[in-house]
Amino acid sequence: MLGREQLTWSAFVLSFARISNLTFGGGGPTVAAFQRELVAKRQWLSPEQFALAYALSRITPGTNLFAFCTAVGSMLRGPWGAMVALLAASIPCCAIVAILTAGFDRWSANPWVNAAIGGALAASVGILFASFWSIVEPYFTKRAWPRTAVIAVAGFLLSLKLSPVLVLALAGFVGWFWKERE
Amino acid sequence: MSLAALYFLLLKASLSSFSGLASLPILREDFVVERQLLTDRQLNTALVIGRTTPGPKGLYIVALGYFVAGYPGAVVAWAAVITPALLVLILLRWAASRTQDPRAQRMLRAIVIASAGVSLSATLPLGIDALTSPLAWAIAAGSLVVLLRTELDTIWAIAAAALAGLAAHAI
Repeated sequence: MLGREQLTWSAFVLSFARISNLTFGGGGPTVAAFQRELVAKRQWLSPEQFALAYALSRITPGTNLFAFCTAVGSMLRGPWGAMVALLAASIPCCAIVAILTAGFDRWSANPWVNAAIGGALAASVGILFASFWSIVEPYFTKRAWPRTAVIAVAGFLLSLKLSPVLVLALAGFVGWFWKERE
Repeated sequence: MSLAALYFLLLKASLSSFSGLASLPILREDFVVERQLLTDRQLNTALVIGRTTPGPKGLYIVALGYFVAGYPGAVVAWAAVITPALLVLILLRWAASRTQDPRAQRMLRAIVIASAGVSLSATLPLGIDALTSPLAWAIAAGSLVVLLRTELDTIWAIAAAALAGLAAHAI
């Protein structure tokens, strides 16, 4: 693995703009892309900081991805970093949505566009699975793996029936009281 | 409808949801049923646009804003979508003062792990929608293996998948 990359404003803005605005499939694959970029590649964030931003963004109302970017921006560059990350992550993709909405009837009928989007969406499924594993893998330690496995499986199954925020509240409650094995 | 009223209606929907499309029933009630500013077809179109453009799925709200009031409506919708994100800064302050508390650490760990499980369940509808051919399955499996085995940027996996889709269409 390469060493920690210098955190400059330009690299900071480009990272948020590039990943948020070029990753298909919703917030899950995008957060996975952020993990590779900010934790593994550039090493601007520790895995613990990433986990904290991820957890808090999931219990923030609204679009989790933008809350995640705001939290990470704040960790890296304070209040200005939070604002800049939020704007860099949101403006281009919202502009794309507005422009495509204006010309929806034209581009949605184009088979070439649909073929490219179909491929990108299929990749998103693989990205989501990779994201799941890269997030839970650090918690599959010798002591903590039973707890990790139970919470991950319960989170998956319960969210098929219950609202995500209720599932996360339940997980938080369980986590507060359930210690890992000594 | 004034832009301010549009902002507050979209903000209300955005604040009352914690995941991609959870705000949909509220928006339908406000814009389609009660005020009749949108049709169900426009709502569905907005969902398709939100799903097939980069970024979070919740951006279908921006398409709704455009349908209601053109580009100014889209700008107002963008503001309504990003406003709740600032609430995470309050949570961050709360968490920062409790990072040494083992119970808080365990609670956050459990939320992270459960979130991963919740995200995985969101893969199901995306998978049903996207994995409709052997090629799509191959792209999904290939992306998974490449991302787990290498440090390749996800952008390249997506670009390669889009090219594969185009190549298959050309053949």
